[in-house]
Amino acid sequence: MKTMENRRLALLYTMLALPAFIWLVPTLWMVSLSLQPNALLARTTSNTFWGLIPYPLTLDNYLNLLAHGQVHVWFFNSLVVALGMTIGVLVLSTTAGYAFARLNFVGKKTLLVLVLLGLMIPEQAVFIPLYTLFSELGWHNSHHGLIIPRLAVPIGVFIMIQFFRGVTRDVEEAARIDGANTFQIFWHVMLPLARPAMMTVAILTFLYAWNDYLWPLVSAQRTEHFTITLGLASLQSNFAQSEGLGSVMASGVIASLPVVALFLIFQRYVVRAVAVGGSKG
Amino acid sequence: MLYAKNRKLIATAQAVVNYKDKKAEKVITMRKTFVSMIAAAALSAGAVMPAFGTEVTLGRFFGSCQDAGTDVSAAVGEACIIQSIINAFDAENDDFDVTTLPTDWGNYYDQIIASYASGNPPDVHVMHRHRIPEYGQIGALADLTDDLMAHGIDPDDWTESAREAVTWNDRILGVPMDLHANLWHVNMDLMEAAGLVEDGRPILPSSPEEMMEHAEMVREATGQYYLAADFSEFEIGVRMVLAFLWQQDSNIFANGTATINTPEARNALELITGLFDGDYANSRTNYADSQQSFLNGEAAVLVNGTWVVDFYAEQAADEDVELTNYYVADFPTLYDEPATWADSHLWAIPASVQRDDPEVYEGALKLLAFINDHNIDWARTGHAAVRESVLNSDEYAELPHRSEYDNTVNIARDTPASARYGAIQDILNREFQAIWLTGKSIDAALSDAEEDVQSQLDR
Repeated sequence: MKTMENRRLALLYTMLALPAFIWLVPTLWMVSLSLQPNALLARTTSNTFWGLIPYPLTLDNYLNLLAHGQVHVWFFNSLVVALGMTIGVLVLSTTAGYAFARLNFVGKKTLLVLVLLGLMIPEQAVFIPLYTLFSELGWHNSHHGLIIPRLAVPIGVFIMIQFFRGVTRDVEEAARIDGANTFQIFWHVMLPLARPAMMTVAILTFLYAWNDYLWPLVSAQRTEHFTITLGLASLQSNFAQSEGLGSVMASGVIASLPVVALFLIFQRYVVRAVAVGGSKG
Repeated sequence: MLYAKNRKLIATAQAVVNYKDKKAEKVITMRKTFVSMIAAAALSAGAVMPAFGTEVTLGRFFGSCQDAGTDVSAAVGEACIIQSIINAFDAENDDFDVTTLPTDWGNYYDQIIASYASGNPPDVHVMHRHRIPEYGQIGALADLTDDLMAHGIDPDDWTESAREAVTWNDRILGVPMDLHANLWHVNMDLMEAAGLVEDGRPILPSSPEEMMEHAEMVREATGQYYLAADFSEFEIGVRMVLAFLWQQDSNIFANGTATINTPEARNALELITGLFDGDYANSRTNYADSQQSFLNGEAAVLVNGTWVVDFYAEQAADEDVELTNYYVADFPTLYDEPATWADSHLWAIPASVQRDDPEVYEGALKLLAFINDHNIDWARTGHAAVRESVLNSDEYAELPHRSEYDNTVNIARDTPASARYGAIQDILNREFQAIWLTGKSIDAALSDAEEDVQSQLDR
């Protein structure tokens, strides 16, 4: 009986491992290509075992990138922008989410519809007005210029509304009987309960901020204000895909390392975050 | 200024650390570490941007070259050659401080357009010839006509095609840097095996029928493809079709009317699909695939631009590369008139800089004169020079392979000027690729292309 169970488990794991491996192949290929010389990759991208084994092996692509004097500045910029955005989005989403879920005020429904409409408006549609506005304010080429336009995240508000609506009113009433005012209830009772939902919003925001490319592309034009994704892209020659493929792949690996680390640490929350929000910020 | 800001940032961060809970030493230690990180990164950011003289911002693609230095003659490749020219200007001119704003090629125009829209474009920037109508018709570019000679730039020294490249409504809106065109890159070993070499030169086809004969000869003798090109990604296939159209004295539009659904276009497309049908070329190769195919000795001819000449010459010298005997020729004439697709890189200054900031405008013009003076250095990339004095110099003739495609500057062509150039190219690429990648009929593709291009022209 136990043998049957073991066999069934082995079969199940094999069935799961195979698609997992297939899913991993592009990532493995990226890492492998990043460890091969550009001159070789100009001729073939499948030198050893379809290119999955990095032979001949070189670290030149990484060393060349890391030797660039501004890579650490770009990492720092990405970190400031991603953390700044995450904190800002958390503050706005939790307060707005609580207000929409629990408080009564004039125009609440209309305001909620307006907030959620943001889910339906593509960011490209507001790009030029936003760019012009920030230009008039003189906010381009700055950290806040990269953070502020991304603070309004309707999906974050939506997630928090859904969470706060799910919390039983008994908890609030108990706190109110104990003398807590609305802000104290929010701060001392609701927020601690909301940690899982906040983690979901935080991870979604951080991932979005780290991978953001379009807004930094137009807002940060000076190299000292580039984020890591923008900076690494700016190093590529016009035909990098054919003559500098190893460097392109090394850029991809370096830029994705913090995100991979984040995933490994908060795996449980990331899965939930993606399930809840998809990739829409 | 930036340094002062950074110091303020550091001071604020330190004040926050000191003010907070002094008893929690562990927390303070962590915060101090964080502040140190902020300080290090902020100082680094400040360190890369010293401010001397009047700042001139320069937007460009071509990639980054951190160690370009100021020795232009030692620089190799597009990114390093152009950056070394810029650096050399910077070093020689204390009055101006050039700040380069590099962007990756794929997103360059998005960034430039956004910067114009906000009224904050770079003071000088590179662009392509085909973009001139788009910017020219809205008056976005400075009219340099009357200021060039005073700064040592002689437009009469430019080739006719280069002058045309920067001229809009009879005014000069830029300084041309090169002419880059489609060439016939040749693997001489495969051609030799097929009996297609004479006096050390490849025998190029002079008619569609002859091209198919040559293709068959290569296939018979070597088992390899006759021709490779990017037929599935960028517009290189489109540029081949355009060249064959021009060679038949036809074009895709004239005087605002699309003229794509024509017998000449059908001839050009049937010629290319004939290569696929005979297995003399592979329609599914993209830019990188076609290049790999050529370098690995799997195709006798590669259709690609001037920008790869030096790279292929370098690859041919590498003993690990199958391609050993490299030659590069002008695009062959298969019909009545010689023609090949070409574009130009040029430098432009926003009209707002000319109007509002004479000092920066002066610096930008001086920089363009300096770049113009280094036309021979830029030509080391493989691109054709735009100055007659450079084209006729011994130094230019001695550049690797240059004499093999010296007629390209005379046969260079492009579609008529249009602000909708990019959209039209996209339509042609979509429809032509549909023919060889999805089996769409040539008649249907030409009809659809003509309709869509006309709608672009009518806008």
